[in-house]
Amino acid sequence: MEKDGNTMRLLIKGVDTPFINALRRNVLAEVPCMAIDEVVIIENSSVLHDEIIAHRLGLIPLKTDLDSYNLPEECSCKSEFGCNLCRVTLTLDKEAKDGTITVYSGELISENPNIVPVSDAIPIVKLAKGQKLRLEAYARLGRGKDHAKWQPVSTCTYKYLPRINIDAESCDACGKCVEICPRKVLAKKGDKIEVRDLLACSLCQDCADVCPKEPPAIKIGWEENAFIFGLESTGALPPERIMIEAVKILKKQLKEFASQIEVQKA
Amino acid sequence: MIIPVRCFTCGKLIGDKWEEFARRVKTGEDAGEVLDSLGIKRYCCRRMLLSHVEIIDEVLRFYEEAEKRKEARSYYYQQ
Ligand SMILES: [Zn+2]
Ligand SMILES: [Zn+2]
Repeated sequence: MEKDGNTMRLLIKGVDTPFINALRRNVLAEVPCMAIDEVVIIENSSVLHDEIIAHRLGLIPLKTDLDSYNLPEECSCKSEFGCNLCRVTLTLDKEAKDGTITVYSGELISENPNIVPVSDAIPIVKLAKGQKLRLEAYARLGRGKDHAKWQPVSTCTYKYLPRINIDAESCDACGKCVEICPRKVLAKKGDKIEVRDLLACSLCQDCADVCPKEPPAIKIGWEENAFIFGLESTGALPPERIMIEAVKILKKQLKEFASQIEVQKA
Repeated sequence: MIIPVRCFTCGKLIGDKWEEFARRVKTGEDAGEVLDSLGIKRYCCRRMLLSHVEIIDEVLRFYEEAEKRKEARSYYYQQ
C-alpha cells in the first residue's frame, strides 16, 4: 500500500485473524537477521564495563545479507565457533590521544563490507584522554525468539480495516462527530458528512457516542477479512524482504505440520 | 550513562539521533518539533531522547582532570 524508507503498510484482503497473526509472529520471532553475538575485549580502560559495551554492540542493527550467510545451527561447518559462512568479524581499535572522543558505530571495521552497522553515528562509548578500547566482535545470524537484537523490525502490527456507515437519512450534518474524532477521519462537506481518511480510523467509536440521533446516524464497524498490516524495519533488512521471508517460513512450518499429521494417521 | 542504542520499549534505533537532537534543542528549537523532524513518532521512543541525561560527560570530567594533573606533575619534575 505504501512504503517510506524502513516502514511499510500493507492492505491484506481475504485472510483471517489467525493467519495474519501467524505472519506477524513470524516477522517478530522467526525472520533471521545479523547482530553481534560474541565480543572479545582485548583492552578496555573506558568508564563503561566490558559487559555494557558488549551489550551496546549487540544492539547495533547490522545490514544483513540473508543469501550469503547461514544460521549457525544450520551451517555445514557444525562448529561452535563458526566459519566464513555463518560469522562476521568486526574489530575496533581506538585510543583517545588528545582530548575526549566519542567512539561511533561507523568506526567498527568489518571483514565484509556488506555487513556494516545500519547507521555510522551510534555512539558506543566516550573515551577521555589516554583511555583505550580494543575489541573483536563476532556477528552471526539469529532469530528474534532468542534475543530481541535479532528482531528485524521494531514494530509489526495489524488492525482491522474500518468500515464507516453514515445514514444519510437521519444524519443532519451537525458536525459533532467531525469535531470529536482524534484522527480527523471525517470531514463536513456541504450538508453531508464524508469519510476523509478511512485508514486512519482507530475504531474508537467516539463519533457514534457523540451523535445526538437515537440510534446514532454513524456506525463504525470493520471488515471481517481485511487488515492493515504495518511494519517498521530496524534497517537490517528491507521491509518487503522481511515480509517475503516471513511468508516463506510460514509455508515451511505448515508443510512440516502437515507431514506430522500424516505420520499420526498411519 | 550514555544514550541507549535502542528504544527500551519497541526497539527502534535512537542512539544515532541523540547528538542532533541535543544540539538542536540547545540552540533553542522546540524539542517536540525536533523529534517530529527526526521521524520519531511513538511516545516510547520520544521519551528516550526527551528524558535522557548524558551522565558520562560528568564521569569523564574526573579522568580529564586526573590527566591534566599528571601532565602538570611530569612538567614540574622535568624542570
Ligand atoms: Zn559455519
Ligand atoms: Zn519506541
